[in-house]
Amino acid sequence: MEKTKLLTASHFRKNKGTYVGLFLLMLLAAMLISSVLLLFIDVYPTVEREAERLNSGNGYLRFSKNINGIDDAALSRLMDGDVSGYEAYHCLCYSAVSVPFGDGNVVIDAQVTDSRVFDKKIARNEIILEDSSITGNYIYLPYQFYTSETRKLGDIYTMELMGRKYDLKVKGFFNTVYFGCNNAGTFEYIVDDATYRDIFARDGETMEGIVVTYALKDGVKQSKFIIRVCNELLSINADTIASSGTLDSAIRNRTFLSRIIAISFLAVSILVLIVIILMLVNSISNYVRENMQTIGALKAIGYTSGNIKASLLLMFGILAISGSILGVLLSYVLMPIVAKLVVIQMGVPYNISFNLLPSLGAFLFVVAYIMAVTALSVGKIRKIDPIIALKDGIKTHNFRKNRVRLDSSHFGLNTSLSFKTMFANMRQNVITFIVTGVIIFLCVIALLMYENFNRNPKLEMLTFEICSGVAAYDYEAKDEALEYLESRSDVSNIRRMIELYLYYNDEEKLRTYVYDDLSKLNNQDACYKGRLPKYDNEVAVSGKFAKEYGFKIGDEIRLDYGDENFSYLITGLIQTSNNNGKEAVLLEKGAEHLIDFTYVPAYFYFDCADRDVCAKILDDCTGKFGNHLISTINFWDIIEGSLTELKGLASLMLILVCSISAAVILLILYLLIKSFLYGKRKDYGICKAIGYTSNNLIFQTALSFMPPIILSVIVCGAASYFAANPYMNIMMSSFGIVKASFDIPIPGLLLIGAGIIVVSFLFAIFEARRIRKMEAYKILISE
Amino acid sequence: MKNIIETKKLCKTFSNGGLQQHVLKNIDLEIREGDFTIIMGASGAGKSTLLYALSGMDRPTLGEISFCDKEITKLSPDELALFRRKNCGFVFQQTYLIDSMSVLDNVLCAGLLNNNDKKAVTAKAHDILSSVDIKEELWDKFPTQISGGEAQRVGIARALVNSPRMVFADEPTGALNSQTGKDVLDALTRFNNEGQSIVMVTHDITSARRGNRILYVKDGEIAGECDLGNYVSGDKERHEKLRDFLAKMGW
Repeated sequence: MEKTKLLTASHFRKNKGTYVGLFLLMLLAAMLISSVLLLFIDVYPTVEREAERLNSGNGYLRFSKNINGIDDAALSRLMDGDVSGYEAYHCLCYSAVSVPFGDGNVVIDAQVTDSRVFDKKIARNEIILEDSSITGNYIYLPYQFYTSETRKLGDIYTMELMGRKYDLKVKGFFNTVYFGCNNAGTFEYIVDDATYRDIFARDGETMEGIVVTYALKDGVKQSKFIIRVCNELLSINADTIASSGTLDSAIRNRTFLSRIIAISFLAVSILVLIVIILMLVNSISNYVRENMQTIGALKAIGYTSGNIKASLLLMFGILAISGSILGVLLSYVLMPIVAKLVVIQMGVPYNISFNLLPSLGAFLFVVAYIMAVTALSVGKIRKIDPIIALKDGIKTHNFRKNRVRLDSSHFGLNTSLSFKTMFANMRQNVITFIVTGVIIFLCVIALLMYENFNRNPKLEMLTFEICSGVAAYDYEAKDEALEYLESRSDVSNIRRMIELYLYYNDEEKLRTYVYDDLSKLNNQDACYKGRLPKYDNEVAVSGKFAKEYGFKIGDEIRLDYGDENFSYLITGLIQTSNNNGKEAVLLEKGAEHLIDFTYVPAYFYFDCADRDVCAKILDDCTGKFGNHLISTINFWDIIEGSLTELKGLASLMLILVCSISAAVILLILYLLIKSFLYGKRKDYGICKAIGYTSNNLIFQTALSFMPPIILSVIVCGAASYFAANPYMNIMMSSFGIVKASFDIPIPGLLLIGAGIIVVSFLFAIFEARRIRKMEAYKILISE
Repeated sequence: MKNIIETKKLCKTFSNGGLQQHVLKNIDLEIREGDFTIIMGASGAGKSTLLYALSGMDRPTLGEISFCDKEITKLSPDELALFRRKNCGFVFQQTYLIDSMSVLDNVLCAGLLNNNDKKAVTAKAHDILSSVDIKEELWDKFPTQISGGEAQRVGIARALVNSPRMVFADEPTGALNSQTGKDVLDALTRFNNEGQSIVMVTHDITSARRGNRILYVKDGEIAGECDLGNYVSGDKERHEKLRDFLAKMGW
């Protein structure tokens, strides 16, 4: 053991810089893997734990618009048999309300209630922060308003309901399972009793609703339960609108970001692990080459191959253990930054604290990985014969071609010599090419995310249809409203839309968009295969749903709405990241097989020039149609709010990926150049002796690293450009996006490519400056 | 004849763990143009240190060296490299060819440093390689594919391709057998006869006979010098004179 320790210390002293570089890579790998595991094992389950702590039950049902007849006895009958417990409370239910959130507004359903909901037992509401000094005219907001920094305690929150504004002081923030996340589609607002009475007196007649939270008995299938309740509801009150949510979707909605971040971190971790393999193999190979005589001498004096291999294993083991420990510790520095972003969407209290399982997992994985790669790489030491090693190995020529002949080269002397050097070091070129290629791919993905989620948000990936504004009218005013909108010169491309929930096979609920004319859609890309419906017997369904139930284009599908059903021909597959990827599209004439449109309200989507024009149109609509106008949406107003978390994610990923990529490429260059300089020191000595200046040699060396980098930037940059969308398809398929058509800005791509080339060249020049310290005389006399 | 190199009070001291070793001590010396100057001495006497100091490859600790009336001890490393490029050619004991370059490219990589005219430099490299008896079929070979003697002659061709004012040779036959060593010495002698100034370090009396001026270094000082006149093959008197000189120096 003493022998091994001596050898280990000797290895480390000889090549400190290289081993410190490898140590940093191991540290980075451990930090990223620990972060990924923390996201999966600690962050992600926090939402589940919170739901369990709040006694979430299995879901909720909401009855709104008209709740006549839905009394306690009716509810009891509806729930009978399937649930082990339920709890109902009255509230005011508003659909498609524009509310301040994040950096802007979001359009979401709003549920207004009073302090009675704090007494609930199933899916409890729990106050997390509260200013008890506020006693009147107040509101409790879901905790997500705090994590997204929308409001602080004591701020004024302006809630606009049915055209009336309520300025309420924020008294507290509460934790809620189903109504506390913007992705879930509904926010719950808890206001003081006097305010609630005031709002109820004004809107109660039309907006009163009932929310039922329930826990199912074992073995009851939730989708079947919901469909049964909805069907039975028709016999109680056919005008009641029923909507529902499940615990699964509530959790999924809150963990969307953490899953994307975890997958992205995983991708970067894989890059770092690949780089570690390349660098470990390279550095062990260099070690053997540079220490051939030493290995021969050691073997000659009685060291076994095992002793020498053990010393390398010990050294890399020590590096791996110390790097992993530090990396795991650093993950607890990185995670609060990530957690801050993730918590915005989770909307539940989360504080990062030490978690043994992910930390130990990351530590053990990195150490085992390094030891396995080292053990495989040091095998060649056994084959070294001591006599040959003492003669510094058998120098053989590989009869390579004399590339870039100086007498016929079209380049200048220094450039020609750089190319010669490059061709003489193919292993180094391959490593540089692969690492640069992986890095540029990651950068393209980060660029894509930044461009499509932050700079120019790709809204069609987040919503089925994009438009400038929406005006929704009740059935009495819808025809007149259409005429009015058509008469305006500032309004264009009006399409009428309603949303329905249709059911398939009594077990799957499909959110269905019904349009008067699908050819008017701005987002024609929503249908990624086949086509949108043209006739009344046609439907397009989401790809995720089709895959799950084995449907193909051309198949027939029977869809139910209440007691009605109709068989449609599937003409196309649509993609969606909403509603757990379960959506469908029909024409109005197709939906008429299931529903009579006479008494159905209409949502008019329209396009116009800009935000101000849209605001003017919607103001005019409000003024002209008054109470017949159900809701209005100015899309420009809600973009910022809807994208709060995604924008943060995109920026984080761009910064993180670009900085890790820059660090990795610089580290690789550092390790390669260092080992390259060491291997070529004799040549540098000769060149200096015959009159090459340090600047000549520095330039030659730096330049010799550039062709594989430039080639990789061009080849892998172009490949990444074409591969990024298919890659995003795979990444986002679990969210319902099947055919991503994200934009990749070419100037950004060129900038990244140029940046990698320029930074690499400057760094290579910086690293190669060590040549300046090499003295020809000292090198040559030491040989 | 004109002096190419002059030194004044040239000193070189190496420090190692606080111990100082004075390798060159106050050397005043002139090297004349056209001479084949031999530096001899026992191992560790300071011969190679003197050679590399004179060539601007190593810096003296104290003293001055002027090369063609230009003081070189104060030049920066890069200025020294430019100085060597224009004025010096080197022939080393271990040849020090660059393994990744062909024979021809080894010569061209020195030649093209001073002259961008590829055609002219290539033609000159061909001439010089031919003149050191490196046949054309070897030009595209790599150093590991040719013999030690051939490699050393390629080294000489590289040293001469820029027509330097001075060729510095550090025991160029030290690693060669007698016949290949003789070929190398013949080549150097021939170039000297054509006017090339050469300073050569050797501890081999056969090699030393090729020079016309012998400097003997002992304990870091020039202990003595001997003028042999131009080399003539088989000149016994000359050989005796050198032998007597070396005996007097304690060789």
